[in-house]
Amino acid sequence: MEFEHYQLIALYGFLVAMAFGAIANRTHFCTMGAISDWINMGSRTRFRVWLLAMGIAIIGTQSLYLTGQVDLSGTIYHGTAFSWFGYMFGGFLFGIGMTIGSGCGQRTLVRVGSGNLKSLVLLLVLAVTAYMTLRGLLALVRLEITGPTTIDLAERGFASQGFDELIGTATGISKTVIGIALTALVGGGIVLYALRDRKVRTEFDNLLAGVGVGLVIVAAWFITGVLGYDDFEPTPVEGVSFINPVGNTLAYLMTYTGSTISFGIVLVLGTIAGSFLYSLLTGTLRTEVFHDRSDLVNHLYGGVLMGFGGVLSLGCTIGQGITGMSTLAPGSVLALLSIIAGGAMTMKMQYYLYDGMGWWHAVKCTASDLLPSK
Amino acid sequence: MTTPDHELDARNLNCPLPILRAKKALNGMEAGTVLKIMATDPGSVKDFAAFANQTGNELLDSSEVGSEFHFLLRKA
Repeated sequence: MEFEHYQLIALYGFLVAMAFGAIANRTHFCTMGAISDWINMGSRTRFRVWLLAMGIAIIGTQSLYLTGQVDLSGTIYHGTAFSWFGYMFGGFLFGIGMTIGSGCGQRTLVRVGSGNLKSLVLLLVLAVTAYMTLRGLLALVRLEITGPTTIDLAERGFASQGFDELIGTATGISKTVIGIALTALVGGGIVLYALRDRKVRTEFDNLLAGVGVGLVIVAAWFITGVLGYDDFEPTPVEGVSFINPVGNTLAYLMTYTGSTISFGIVLVLGTIAGSFLYSLLTGTLRTEVFHDRSDLVNHLYGGVLMGFGGVLSLGCTIGQGITGMSTLAPGSVLALLSIIAGGAMTMKMQYYLYDGMGWWHAVKCTASDLLPSK
Repeated sequence: MTTPDHELDARNLNCPLPILRAKKALNGMEAGTVLKIMATDPGSVKDFAAFANQTGNELLDSSEVGSEFHFLLRKA
């Protein structure tokens, strides 16, 4: 049996995603959990593990980009339509959604693989909402929101929104020099910051999560950008991302006979498969169902907020938070900070509302906790 | 086996709520007293270990009872 070129790319993507799913399952790799550890326990270890993945992704991806092996200019992260409000508002909604849905898109896929049926329901709602926001009824809402707030960078003489292009064009300094400097400064700085925590340096699971996930992100760029390069049948250059692909996966499964598989779809399926296999082999497969009404309602809200917000901000904690950041683009920075803000605010609100505190009072307490006080 | 002074029912709550409620419960307790927490979220096992490690409240016991997870925390 011979594989077509695109099938081979899909197969590589599936295998890398399986590694991702297994690693994330084993190490509890979770962005929301990382923020929760920070906000609720004052521990930044899990956040540093997450940053280690980001730093490695930046260094690896930029190495491929700056040496001309992977062309990032056609990716959504380097697009010239700079929808600042979409990144911020979408990211913020996503942050709220991942907190009440007990995990972001990636975490949800891992949980589905480990037998969590609550996450399966959330995933289906997320998929429908994401697809509706992409192509359906909610796309109208999305365009109403992003249309008036999008800055067209091409009109201002920029070829992409990459920091190298923006700074290089504005100052006249060589883009490669800027790219190398930013990679060393930002990527290297983040890795060093992450490794300053002894628990990150010395505990196997922390290193596995940080290094493993970082390499998975780089591998995805390598697969679509280098291995997928073909004069006649080029693969679209695409990184690891989960919201848009979850919507596409549902559409693909429902229209299978008339559809072709894409890289994003195999990432979704591979992540579930990797997590499932890990759970099976370690005996941790465990069916979980809804306990009560609010459990169901929270997961439904989580799915809707993440589906809509994730498409609006062009990515999730992984799509923008690590993959987008690895391309060094300002939109990814805005989206990521907004996701963190939405998540942190929701956790604080949950803490105060549990006291029976009124909404307005809870908002004030949250603001005083999260905003710099002096 | 230490007898708990306070109990917290965090069953049916998802991450991050069990930790959040435990933190809240500990706030109202005196140093040296023990809090028993019952949870159903499998992620809570790792979370409470990290919580104890970070906050200095001692994790006296962490056990799986049927389909539940029980923890004993002594307030520092």
